[in-house]
Amino acid sequence: MSTQEEAALEREFDVLMAKAGAKVPADRKAGILAGYKDMKRLALLLRQPRSEAAEPSNVYSLTGFARSKRS
Amino acid sequence: MSAPKVLHELSIAEAGRRLRAGTLSPVALTQHCLARIAALDPRLNAFVLVTKERALADADRADRELKAGVDRGPMHGIPYALKDIYATAGIPTTCHSKLLLENVPAEDCVVEAKLKSGGAALLGKLATHEFAIGGPSFDLPFPPARNPWHRDHFTGGSSSGSGAAVAAGLVRIAMGSDTGGSIRGPAFYCGTVGLKPTYGLVSRRGVFPLSYTLDHCGPLTWSVEDAALTMQVIAGYDALDPASADLAVPDFTSGIGRDLAGLNLAYPRSFFATQEDITAEVIASLDASAQQFAKLGAKVEEIELPDFELFNACGRVILIAEAYAIHEKNLITRPLDYARYTYQRMMVGATVSAADLTQAFRLRRELSSIINQRILGTHDAIITANGLAPAPRLDEFPADVPPKMTLQTMPFNVTGNPTLALPTKLSMSGLPLGLQIVGRAFDEPTVLRIGAAFEAASGWINQRPAVELQTAP
Repeated sequence: MSTQEEAALEREFDVLMAKAGAKVPADRKAGILAGYKDMKRLALLLRQPRSEAAEPSNVYSLTGFARSKRS
Repeated sequence: MSAPKVLHELSIAEAGRRLRAGTLSPVALTQHCLARIAALDPRLNAFVLVTKERALADADRADRELKAGVDRGPMHGIPYALKDIYATAGIPTTCHSKLLLENVPAEDCVVEAKLKSGGAALLGKLATHEFAIGGPSFDLPFPPARNPWHRDHFTGGSSSGSGAAVAAGLVRIAMGSDTGGSIRGPAFYCGTVGLKPTYGLVSRRGVFPLSYTLDHCGPLTWSVEDAALTMQVIAGYDALDPASADLAVPDFTSGIGRDLAGLNLAYPRSFFATQEDITAEVIASLDASAQQFAKLGAKVEEIELPDFELFNACGRVILIAEAYAIHEKNLITRPLDYARYTYQRMMVGATVSAADLTQAFRLRRELSSIINQRILGTHDAIITANGLAPAPRLDEFPADVPPKMTLQTMPFNVTGNPTLALPTKLSMSGLPLGLQIVGRAFDEPTVLRIGAAFEAASGWINQRPAVELQTAP
């Protein structure tokens, strides 16, 4: 990541913290910023083509998950 | 003829037989644990509170009941301890945090109520990473727990005190919680058994939440059978826990003692062997374990899983969004009352968008389907890595940035499957290594059967860390 990109990321981060109403203590900012950078990487991984079946209702597919009847 | 076992080496079943035969009393067993805690815990910091009077009162009551022929089940008269996020009526429950130092719950959590009515004796409350997240922190009201195999090393977390206390033989059973690996991480680093049950099998009511859809309650124990017997007491439907499954409680010990003939195990070698942080020693240990499962009668088949990073992305986005929702008000108004690592980890939740969270839940559905239908539709269980390397030193943790965790545990919080952490051997550095056994939903008996067979073959249970020889601070 270039210096320019790093600076842009930090500005974006500052906006998000302000929007949340958070006054981040200066000595704790670096750790959250590193976490934010990693979260952006993870968020990209989430965005891949999915089938219609991949939707949030009942995330645990009941087929084969729950026992069919009480023993 | 072997020497008689010291009391903390008695399994729950062995102790139970002696308690019922009258050759051992619950009070003597509890006093032994209390003496061991007094002698060794100053080196380990596993306990944040020892409830000596309560423990002895519980033990005395169990003594009288057993003598009168009242039998409350497998935990009757057995000492146990709770991670300090489990609410205990009249006993402080701090979550290892400044924010809850004065918190004394009026009611027990469900697990504590079940253990209490099962006649067990509460030894105390155990160290945790603050609010079950964060890391080993020195800026909290209580010091972090230390690894009994080497006190300069990390215990894993967040059930840090649970792992340390069980490994050091201070208690046979310690309750932990697992949102991304918080039972199985300490089990790996400290060399204990740790069971993350199926989501919905053990009530979470009264246990301080970290992430509603990822939190699981379960035991850390010294043996697989101890875990099975604990589950017999704590599992079951709770109408007031929205996640609770209304299903009959199985006999968790039903498969223990059986070989593995007829079982088909999936071994996703490339899932862990391609990870950047894994050591050659860990890969060799897992390959040797896979061969051991085959020797015990199972068919072991190498399979492929989706990339670990997909599970990791899915779980971490959900975890951090839900944790932030729970702590939002205090994070904004009292930032300095959280430990540095806790605050830094949780504040990332303020950056997660609604679209991120929705995409994570969509992916979760897909990954759950792959594990439950494709893999466990044709295999009885999955054998895979737990940690990628032995416990790091505490002084290797960075001061400013939360540490990267090198565990392979998050996938099975995402999918909700029962997962058993099991020690395999000591590394060349003298620290434990281990693996995970992942089963079909609500099929804990098969997971425990596989774990018990491996445990018996490995002989792990016969070694303990020499805490006595380590210098106190």
